[in-house]
Amino acid sequence: MSDVALPAIAAPGDFARSVARPAVVYNEAIVKKSVIAAMFWAVIAMTVGVYIATELAWPAFNFGQSWLSFGRLRPVHTSAAIFAFGGSALIGTSFHVVQRTCRARLFGGDALANFVFWGYQFFIVMAALSYVMGFSQGMEYAEPEWHIDLWLTVVWVCYAIVFIGTLFKRQEEHIYVANWFYVAFILTIAVLHIGNNIAIPVSIFGAKSYEVASGVQSALIQWWYGHNAVGFFLTAGFLGMMYYFIPKAANRPVYSYRLSVVHFWSLIFLYIWAGPHHLHWTALPNWTQTLGMAFSIMLWMPSWGGMINGIMTLSGAWDKLRTDPGLRFSVTAVGFYGMSTFEGPVMSIRDINALAHYTDWVIGHVHSGALGWVAFISFGAIYYLVPVLWQRSGLYSNRLANWHYWVSTLGIVFYITSMWVAGIMQGLMWRAYDQFGFLQYSFAESVVAVHPYYVIRMVGGLLFLTGTLIMVYNLIQTVRSPSTAVSKALPVGAALAAE
Amino acid sequence: MDIEPSDLIVGAMMLVFGVIGLILAAGAVDDEIYVFGLSLFAFACIFLIGQVRHHFDRQHAARAAVVAKDNRHV
Repeated sequence: MSDVALPAIAAPGDFARSVARPAVVYNEAIVKKSVIAAMFWAVIAMTVGVYIATELAWPAFNFGQSWLSFGRLRPVHTSAAIFAFGGSALIGTSFHVVQRTCRARLFGGDALANFVFWGYQFFIVMAALSYVMGFSQGMEYAEPEWHIDLWLTVVWVCYAIVFIGTLFKRQEEHIYVANWFYVAFILTIAVLHIGNNIAIPVSIFGAKSYEVASGVQSALIQWWYGHNAVGFFLTAGFLGMMYYFIPKAANRPVYSYRLSVVHFWSLIFLYIWAGPHHLHWTALPNWTQTLGMAFSIMLWMPSWGGMINGIMTLSGAWDKLRTDPGLRFSVTAVGFYGMSTFEGPVMSIRDINALAHYTDWVIGHVHSGALGWVAFISFGAIYYLVPVLWQRSGLYSNRLANWHYWVSTLGIVFYITSMWVAGIMQGLMWRAYDQFGFLQYSFAESVVAVHPYYVIRMVGGLLFLTGTLIMVYNLIQTVRSPSTAVSKALPVGAALAAE
Repeated sequence: MDIEPSDLIVGAMMLVFGVIGLILAAGAVDDEIYVFGLSLFAFACIFLIGQVRHHFDRQHAARAAVVAKDNRHV
């Protein structure tokens, strides 16, 4: 069904052609650093997540310290998970993919690539530090104040220069579809970040700033940004990862290359309109809410088209799910992508949103995407990358990777089911009226009712963190253990395939 | 070995960032800008030291490669 094969999977004719061309020395050091950073931040993000989940179940765990309070640690958790773990994984894999599919070393030399990597890590550390010190713009997923926003803008522009510059100097005629998704991620995040952070500082020497927009305009801009951070950071970027690493791990071309192109254009056209569904039943004009809802429902089409394309890429290679734990992570991730992109449009329907909004159902939905899709697709890519980058014969232990898979999957199930039950219970309790027309339950009663589910959520998070620690040990051993050393030089064909 | 243009451009950027960091720290009216300014200055210094190290590492590797090639001919 595929129209264009993945360039890196060479046909016999391509093999002769690639041998005739001079070898390209790729910048792998930057990819290695990004993989290490991604795993480091994954552990930090999940540890903080488990800690704040514990605080929600037993608030005394903040020990009366302001810097340990949920309000300050929550953005540390979300930023560490999305921007630090997810961002490092995206930067690393995008640099890996663009070099190999373009057959070109990164544009701008090693210095610029190093600046992108270290500058981005500096942004993460500074942002986290500012949150625990109590500085925040108060905008979800856009908490850093103006000076950190400016720094990220500089780093992100350099990232765009490196990535797009590499596309321009490519030696392959075709731009592989994964690169299109990565470009959409890079360019749209730049626009969103700048658009949502137009603020005037009180003083050039002070951290506090005030956003130019106010009231409902501010809210609309915030959720135009917020939902498209999901759409272009957590979806488009990771779809780029899916379109490269699943075909590579399965050693199969993409099921339908034409579908992948349709997936790309429909996804980026529809996603950008969906933000207003975060503002149902607010002062936002009714037509704008309806527009956001309609485009959210239309998103079913590209999301499921992409999911089918990812899963069907395994046609003829399903047996690899038994032997390749990394591929199992990737394919399960695509399943979670399908599930959460089904659930999201359902929740965007205004009448369903009346029940779901402000409840823990939203938290469950976000984590089915963040853990099931974003983390699992990254784990699949990293399990594939580490033996390739460090030139090892394979993973240290497939059994440990299997343990990681099942412990983490169980953690996700605990997490999302407990949040579904808690969220729907909250929604029903908040809207219940007695025979006199008064609210049947106080807010505090709904807090007491969800306590057991908060404990189950914490256990789910702990299981997911445990799985990640198993992965970290497995990866360290993969790099260090003599059992994974390549005993002899690879034959030329194998070396090219590994490339 | 020649210095690559990107090394010079990024190095110059780091000098600018380092100076901005010091100015911010010097005039800071709150802890956040003070910490950010000093951290930016430290980041710029460490990055520049890293660039110098990379330059000499590359130079050393290039020399070693030439020596290894000469030895093969002998």
